[in-house]
Amino acid sequence: MATRTGRPARSKSAPGTTKAATRTTRARDSLHVFRAEAPESSANPLRAGTRLERIPEPCILVIFGATGDLAQRKILPAAYNLSRAGLLPPGSAVLGFSRRPLSDEAYRDMARKAIDEHSRSKLEEGIWDDFVQGIHYLQGEFGEAADFRELEEELERIDAERGTLGNRLYYLATPPSAYADIVSNLGRVGLDRQRQGWARIVIEKPFGHDLASAGQLNDTVMRVFDESQVYRIDHYLGKETVRNLMVFRFGNGIFEPLWNRRYVDHVQITVGEDLGVEGRGEFYEQAGASRDILQNHMLQLLSLVAMEPPIAFEADALRDEKVRVLRAIDPAWTEARVRGQVVRAQYAPGWSADHKVPGYRQEPEVDPNSNVETFVALKLEVQNWRWADVPFYLRTGKRLPKRATEIAIQFKQPPLMLFRDSTTDPEPNLMAMRIQPDEGILLRFAAKVPELGLDVRSVNMDFTYGTSFMKDAPEAYETLILDAMLGDASLFTRADEVEAAWGIISPVIDQWHDWDEKAASSAAGSDDGDQEGTLGSVGDPGLCFYDAGTWGPDSADKLIEHDGRRWRRL
Amino acid sequence: MTVQVAAPGGGVTEQGTTRWQARAKTISETVTQLSRIWHAAAEGAASAEPGGDVKVRMRTSVLTLVVVAQQPEVAERALAIVGALASRHPSRAIIVSPGDPDGPTTFDARISAACQLAATSGAEICTEEILVRTGGELSQHLSTVIAPLLIHDLPVVLWWPDEPPFASRRFEDLADMCDGLLVDSGDFRGDGRRGLAGMAAVVATGRSVHDMGWARLSLWRELLAGLFDHPLLIDVLPGVRSLRVDIARPSASLRISKAACFSGWLAAMLGWEVATPLVASQSGDRLSGAFKIGKRQIPVEFRAIVAGHSSVPHSPGSLVRVEMELARGRATTRARVTRQADHLLATADWNGAQVARRAGQLERFDEMPFLAEALDRTSLDRIFERALGPAVELSGR
Repeated sequence: MATRTGRPARSKSAPGTTKAATRTTRARDSLHVFRAEAPESSANPLRAGTRLERIPEPCILVIFGATGDLAQRKILPAAYNLSRAGLLPPGSAVLGFSRRPLSDEAYRDMARKAIDEHSRSKLEEGIWDDFVQGIHYLQGEFGEAADFRELEEELERIDAERGTLGNRLYYLATPPSAYADIVSNLGRVGLDRQRQGWARIVIEKPFGHDLASAGQLNDTVMRVFDESQVYRIDHYLGKETVRNLMVFRFGNGIFEPLWNRRYVDHVQITVGEDLGVEGRGEFYEQAGASRDILQNHMLQLLSLVAMEPPIAFEADALRDEKVRVLRAIDPAWTEARVRGQVVRAQYAPGWSADHKVPGYRQEPEVDPNSNVETFVALKLEVQNWRWADVPFYLRTGKRLPKRATEIAIQFKQPPLMLFRDSTTDPEPNLMAMRIQPDEGILLRFAAKVPELGLDVRSVNMDFTYGTSFMKDAPEAYETLILDAMLGDASLFTRADEVEAAWGIISPVIDQWHDWDEKAASSAAGSDDGDQEGTLGSVGDPGLCFYDAGTWGPDSADKLIEHDGRRWRRL
Repeated sequence: MTVQVAAPGGGVTEQGTTRWQARAKTISETVTQLSRIWHAAAEGAASAEPGGDVKVRMRTSVLTLVVVAQQPEVAERALAIVGALASRHPSRAIIVSPGDPDGPTTFDARISAACQLAATSGAEICTEEILVRTGGELSQHLSTVIAPLLIHDLPVVLWWPDEPPFASRRFEDLADMCDGLLVDSGDFRGDGRRGLAGMAAVVATGRSVHDMGWARLSLWRELLAGLFDHPLLIDVLPGVRSLRVDIARPSASLRISKAACFSGWLAAMLGWEVATPLVASQSGDRLSGAFKIGKRQIPVEFRAIVAGHSSVPHSPGSLVRVEMELARGRATTRARVTRQADHLLATADWNGAQVARRAGQLERFDEMPFLAEALDRTSLDRIFERALGPAVELSGR
């Protein structure tokens, strides 16, 4: 709790945060106990050394919203593929729970169709015959406690029939509005309790839409479940990326000494997408780039790059360090700071690669006067001993020229330029970690141009991780569901992490809304439709525009050029 | 239609891959040609970008792969596989094709380097292949041919298709130079016993051995192991009473290397010792022996099965069926894994009622995934090494 003192601003804006942190500490203690009591995974001596050495105990995957889009497109195919790869022990079962009245048979047909259509591997009869026997369906209302009592009976029946040992993985594949009902009814019936086996709950992103709602959601869930039972999925960050970053930082001895304010000038994180909203206009109108990418994905990348070495490569040790980074970012956003250090922008019509594309406001399901941002650039500072005064520049956007995710560490200039005769000064060293596409590492250093004179040039050394084209890589959902069954939470987001990330982004969004309202009222008064007024004038929502297919608005360049730096060209 | 573009330094660019080729008649010329190629490649790539950055072409290498190909068609096959693996395991591949040892001493190297553009980032992955043909006495001294061509510091993997001449000087010299040996026990000659003993001898010297035949047993092992995740069955596992392995026999000799490895693995994992090595029946289509645990004997039987008409070809020595009888207290159990057309089916009965069943899809009979996997892990495969001891002992002499 010591970290919280001296940060009254946070506590004031987030009454739920301190409570969440206390809960998390408690959760972690019980997690250790739980781990210590868990049976050794090598109880079966024949498992040693096989690809499947770590195999989950048989369990029932309970899908709430079993007839919905997510269940059909992702969860059922993922479960099938896990079973096909032999990663689910025999006896594992799937129980669909939804409003629609369906028989087991009808749901099995539905599952078969879903897997046929969406699975990355073809449905094979031999495997399917095995898998289908474990699929069951139960009709019920999320708000009806009686239906959950029926669910409990059904689960016990399956336990007895298939030997699933009372292990349950609840998957909330419903709209977020149903989460509260499901969770409290699970609690009312006592399905959260871990008497014989374990009970875990998987929650999909978004975890709230701002700090207050995230805190509420956490409160609701943790009134029933213990933090160690909760798995918040953010499928954006693949296992490989996290491991590559960790191995690169902590598996090499030569980089860590440079990884601090003494040698690093600044850090740039870019998440660029070349696509537009692609028919998800309705969703995007509610989200915007800050909720869709910045709050979760980019802050995850930032904390992985900036964190201290964890004491172990283990879920809670890792997440402890990540949270500390987020807490070291100043959440006190004044209006002037939002104006000066955050760029909010939206794409206008333009050319994406070789075809003409509409602007955001012309997309289907989008309000023609929408102020939702499709691009954000901002400057953050991580205020700890390692990073004080090193700016972190973040930018993300849709309809940028390329799909590219990259972290660039820009090192400082050498203290003294010895080579005065050189026609160009070498650029400072740069290390770029490419996340996608083609995960790899690039190092830029100065080299002498061969032959005459003493000309110095920058040279790029570029290393690409081998692409594993031999095996088709498992889908993110497969890895994540398997991890949840194994009880490995390292890729899932902890309650305090979610709230800390919202604590940084929420005030910015609030400020924007404030401006939107002022703009709306002043527009109503003066009837002046011009949105691109000068920055800072009253009634200006602070929204800029950029042509689709460019790297964002001029103000994004100004943000970083103001500090004498520039965005890396990707 | 393919478009060819001349790249600087004599390279040819085709569909995003730039290739350089050279020939050499001596080893020193080979080394010179290699460095000439990389010099040219570097020049070709040193195109300044508008921002003043210079992109250098460079090699990312993780290992040197040495392949000894006795027949020309093996060399061709190896070349194709190495090329396909390039982007996953950027490496220098040296493929040696030793010719007639009684002919004149000759040396001929074909050197080829290729830089391939990675999908979208514009980064390049470069690899080298050196195809060496030797003749005469030189064929007996392959290690001296290869030593100057290895990449400094990186691991060296020796892939020897067919059965290597274990225990020969020629093999030992080469193996001494390498960190790991890669073989396929499915290609061993005769009944495979000599090859098994040879692998065990290499393991005993502390080098790692990867056997693709063993890797092909993974699914068999996984499925059998999976049956015992069942809470009823795990308790019975210490009570194995007997083991029977059916082996496909398309040819005259009964190749037992895979069945022996599989039995050896069970023995190593369950703490059995070899009581009686295998002895062939008179008809020759049946071998029996025994393991023991404590004082209890566990009979082992290998049976030859003439491969049925299935869509997947059975290679000599492939497993067709593995069956174990187990008992503990009053419970008796049978656990078996059976090969179906293109998948394996594992089932277990407990007092006559089926309690566990699962299927697994067999991989295509292809070397590439196994080679890729072996190169992924150049470290020792402890389980294989533990299985090999009892396997050799069981197969007897």
